[in-house]
Amino acid sequence: MKLLFYSAIVYLSVCVLSTTLGAQQVAVKLPLHSGSLRFAVIGDSGTGNKEQYEVAQELERYRQAVKFDFVIMLGDNIYGGHSASDFKGKFEEPYKSLLDAGVKFYASLGNHDDPNIERLYKPFNMNGERYYTFKRGDAQFYALDSTYMDTRQLTWLEQNLRSSDAAWKICYFHHPLYSDGKMHGPDLDLRNQLTPLLQAYGVNAVFSGHEHAYERIKPQNGIYYFIQGDSGKLEHHDFHRSPEMQTSFDRDRTFMLVEIDGDNLYFQTVARSGETVDAGVLTRQTRRAGL
Amino acid sequence: MALTATSTSAQKPATAGTRDAAVVADFEAKVKQYLDFRQQHVGAPPKPTNNPADIVSKQQDMGNTIRVARAGAKQGEIFTPQIADYFRRQIAASFAGTHGKQIRASLAHAEPVKMELQINQSYPPNQPLQSTPPTLLLNLPNLPDGLEYRLIDRELVLRDTEGNVVIDYVPNALPESIK
Repeated sequence: MKLLFYSAIVYLSVCVLSTTLGAQQVAVKLPLHSGSLRFAVIGDSGTGNKEQYEVAQELERYRQAVKFDFVIMLGDNIYGGHSASDFKGKFEEPYKSLLDAGVKFYASLGNHDDPNIERLYKPFNMNGERYYTFKRGDAQFYALDSTYMDTRQLTWLEQNLRSSDAAWKICYFHHPLYSDGKMHGPDLDLRNQLTPLLQAYGVNAVFSGHEHAYERIKPQNGIYYFIQGDSGKLEHHDFHRSPEMQTSFDRDRTFMLVEIDGDNLYFQTVARSGETVDAGVLTRQTRRAGL
Repeated sequence: MALTATSTSAQKPATAGTRDAAVVADFEAKVKQYLDFRQQHVGAPPKPTNNPADIVSKQQDMGNTIRVARAGAKQGEIFTPQIADYFRRQIAASFAGTHGKQIRASLAHAEPVKMELQINQSYPPNQPLQSTPPTLLLNLPNLPDGLEYRLIDRELVLRDTEGNVVIDYVPNALPESIK
């Protein structure tokens, strides 16, 4: 079965909602529609350094305004060792206020993660699996292990994409399929194996990390791609611009906020300083009737 | 019936396909034998918990139990020369195939890991796991839960993921040009 997409992308200026939180303000560029699905995105976060903590503080300030209740993690959740103190200093403490507020984290695995430890760590919500899926609202999420994309995982992905009737299908995994990053660049072999499935089964958006910067790629075969690998690590001057690049940012660490409402996916990328470095709205790709 | 089949196949010259099928069957039997052995010694895999110290401790206990139980294990017990040769050919074919260029590019970007390998050693906990190109994995025999292939330098490692133990490896599995 082959699905064809009519892809459309509309970048709107959305109203800036200034929300007062005590003496501090955050500039939310999401519409915050009633009943919408909201989540945050962090990637390559688990350094335990002060910059990770500062990003986490900004994320918490935005949580109070945006009221997202889950975060997807794009891998490299815990750099270096994987002792209890590493989990404390690189995850539990920086995100304590979010965890205390009941925010759930859904991790995917990066090359610096220990799959066998992290998949068993309950706060990462992986249920003991290297890859898994969950549904929130109109969106089905697929957390994949891009360090080890074997036949079993590809078969699992195909079965789960095929059986989902979700309006939005969102995949996230560590290694980007498209990237203008100088440090790593795209994983071309992974792209060869994954994109036929993503296209055939109507995946709408893909989030990846690995490259320690932020990049939004122009839609590729109708699919939206983001790289968000700088919530802890940062690589300055990391890009060589290609025609695939829509926009990029490599001057500070960032996180993303996403709101899905009906056929629209609103996004806002925020730097550690609180500056919004990218924002917009993407329209859900529609499929040809009967497919 | 079985005897007839055996006798018929014995009369035909063995082709590369049938020889390879026999090698793969031998590899799968050795893998099953290892997993049965592990099951016997370490029992069921651990369950998710809030306490990472418990997970780490169980992984270390499991690894230590495996190491003690297979003390004296040597390289080549699973990857016998014949099986290792099959793996090298499969890998070489992957690099020579239509996706060879992309596999090389992926490997070059995968933060390659270099370390001296020893059977029964742990994969160093603070070293990144080099991603294994999917096309390479597609050309190798599937592994059951609890085992995986990993590349370290030019070697293809068979790793027990639950105990974090190097079970065996294929020396010089990647073509020399990859180094």
